[in-house]
Amino acid sequence: MRSNVIFFLGLFAALGLSWAGIVLGSNAQLGALAPYFDASQETAFPQGMPGEAARGQLVYRDLGCAACHTQQVRRPGFGSDQARGWGERQSVARDYIYQPYPQLGLARVGPDLTNLGDRKPTAPDEDDLLRMLYAGSDDMPAYRFLFEERRVGSGAQRSDQALQLTGALEPAAGWEIVPTARARALVAYLVNLKTAFDYPEAIPYVPPQPEGAAQPKPPAAPANGPAPSAPKGAAAAPAAAGAAPASPPGANAPAPTAAPTAANPGPAGVSAPTPTAAPAGSQIPAAAGAAPASPPGANAPAPTAAPTAAKAGGAQ
Amino acid sequence: MKAEVTPADSRSRAPLLLLLLFGLLWLVASGLLGLVASVQLHSPRFLSDCAVLTYGRTGALAETAFVYGWLANAGLALALWILGRLAGEPLRAQGWALAGAVFWNLGVAAALFGVATGDATGFALLGLPGYVHLIMLFSYSAIAVSGILAWSGRLREVPYASHWYAAAALFLFPWILSIAHVTLFSAPARGVVQAIAAGWYAQCAWTLWLAPLGLSVAYYVVPRVTGRVLPSYEFASLGFWCLIFVGGLTGGRHLLGGPVPAWIASVAVVSSALLLFHTFVVLLNLRGCFSGGGIAIRFISFGIAAYIVGALAGAATSFHGIAAHTQFTHFDEAERQLALYGAASTLLFGGIYFALPRITGRAWLSGGLVRAHLFLSVAGILLLVGSLGAAAVIQSQDLSEPAVAFAAIAGHTRPWLVGATAAQAVLLLGNIAFTVNFVGTACTVLKLSEPASFNPPSAMEAPAP
Repeated sequence: MRSNVIFFLGLFAALGLSWAGIVLGSNAQLGALAPYFDASQETAFPQGMPGEAARGQLVYRDLGCAACHTQQVRRPGFGSDQARGWGERQSVARDYIYQPYPQLGLARVGPDLTNLGDRKPTAPDEDDLLRMLYAGSDDMPAYRFLFEERRVGSGAQRSDQALQLTGALEPAAGWEIVPTARARALVAYLVNLKTAFDYPEAIPYVPPQPEGAAQPKPPAAPANGPAPSAPKGAAAAPAAAGAAPASPPGANAPAPTAAPTAANPGPAGVSAPTPTAAPAGSQIPAAAGAAPASPPGANAPAPTAAPTAAKAGGAQ
Repeated sequence: MKAEVTPADSRSRAPLLLLLLFGLLWLVASGLLGLVASVQLHSPRFLSDCAVLTYGRTGALAETAFVYGWLANAGLALALWILGRLAGEPLRAQGWALAGAVFWNLGVAAALFGVATGDATGFALLGLPGYVHLIMLFSYSAIAVSGILAWSGRLREVPYASHWYAAAALFLFPWILSIAHVTLFSAPARGVVQAIAAGWYAQCAWTLWLAPLGLSVAYYVVPRVTGRVLPSYEFASLGFWCLIFVGGLTGGRHLLGGPVPAWIASVAVVSSALLLFHTFVVLLNLRGCFSGGGIAIRFISFGIAAYIVGALAGAATSFHGIAAHTQFTHFDEAERQLALYGAASTLLFGGIYFALPRITGRAWLSGGLVRAHLFLSVAGILLLVGSLGAAAVIQSQDLSEPAVAFAAIAGHTRPWLVGATAAQAVLLLGNIAFTVNFVGTACTVLKLSEPASFNPPSAMEAPAP
């Protein structure tokens, strides 16, 4: 280490190595991930969020909700993610391609929210969530600053957005609690958190049994009893496989190339990189025709149920 | 024997004292914010009506003030001081360092204001909103100019271990931050690549910036206090390059099981295990600190112990079988506090206790406050990490049972989280004592019109070799 030049070049090389390996490497692998076109539904997944929900993600990020809530269902074998009903499959990178600020989160002081809008048996609706945000609880703060307390003039009509509160939370007579635009955006975002479609890569890998070490292939065979690591995964595999009967992810399937280039349903002003166009020689006229129709316009006033018309076939 | 206070020290005072003073003010501020966040974790109603201090923000505020306010300022001051001492002459380009210090701290203040009013980024260890990055980048580089000039003007041609670590931290941070700025802010990567890049930044900020700042102090102070050449010093350079080359690859362990390619976690496992070689070399070189006396060496030995325990815990939790239990629990927070507070911060405390009498030529104002700070720091860190760890065990068991609701988990962990709050209060108390003592000591110098004459410092450590 006698030479300054070699020392600093060494530092630079070390930093470059980890940057190229981790950041550039994963970007090369995932940075151009295209949506998945499901021929049976003639729709590409994932679907972008309506404009109000996309604004809600900014509120989610700005309030630091990710300090307590994750948005990732881990692979089978990691905790009780699927047993708690957070999702019927693991999260995959494709779920996040339209999110300008993916909120994977690092702590679970509260529940995971990956699939909150599609939770079984009953997903919370917007009113439930607004009341939850207003009231708070012993394990979640209240967010009163997202609500306005307004006086209702005598004889005047109450706002149709006023919260229906009972008990101790009920406002005094002549007052009403109305969610602000930020609260409504946040809630629109939360009810739009859905991972309804089963991508081929979300089918869990079932490691071969140690006894049958001769079998290298992961068979989707739930026959030989619950695997020690993934009873849930074994059950989910056939369902997922059945979800995409039209397009098995085989070599010559035209499946994952549909890319709605024009429609980029990020929030206005946020320029997520446009998904790379499908390869030029794409022989899937159906995909090209169907894709632009599917994502809703970026700043449509967004009745929040817009993209849910076609539920995925995989969700049973 | 060299004189304790050299002209190199007394003529480099201004930027060093300014950086340290800023650092201590942020330390107290982050302690207050950390206390609020810690209360909110077990009593969510506390200050929840105040939008600026909602829980999601207080945590980010406390962390940003701690890392970019306290650790950065104090680490830079000590790195400059060490590089200047090893150059044997007063720091050059002090004007750059002074201006850089002012603008760096303006940047930190702007970042905290931004996070509090709605520009939080949500990235761990990167709470700085995108618009302050440029000012932070330039001001850091301006401060580093002094250090790099001192590096190139060093007395001995072959640099020492403390040289390497300090120079690496000064040189690498601007690159890490600018890469993070491009991949996360100005041209954000798509989807989960952002999470991977943010994990890479957080890991690099630790292994290539904060940990080297702390280790530089330890490698400088330990041989001077013990008066002996470091044992097995020939391995030190291997340990250094191991940290620099492998450290940045270990960030993926927090994404284990998540929606990222599996190779990210596999690389993290391999490199976390390789990094243990670095940890072992640090232990081998600095083991003398565990038998040394004096206040600085006590802080440093605690910091080295925390560094080693933290590295072992990090390697263990990179494995699937263990991560499946610790991931997303309070264990992550315990590990982070052990690294940032137990290791980095404590090493810097030790460095300041060693450096300030030499920079000012005065003994510490109050020996009682020094001992109080040592006691409160050690007790606070042990209590903090211990109670977060205990809460993590309970939380992990409860989370693996699908029937246990989150309200029940909150109830089960509450006693331990209250313990963590008590620990934060203890740490805050200790840091207030430290700040009072520091300001008092520094003021004795500022009052004098001429440079302080050398005053045999009674509260100093063993004489330097």
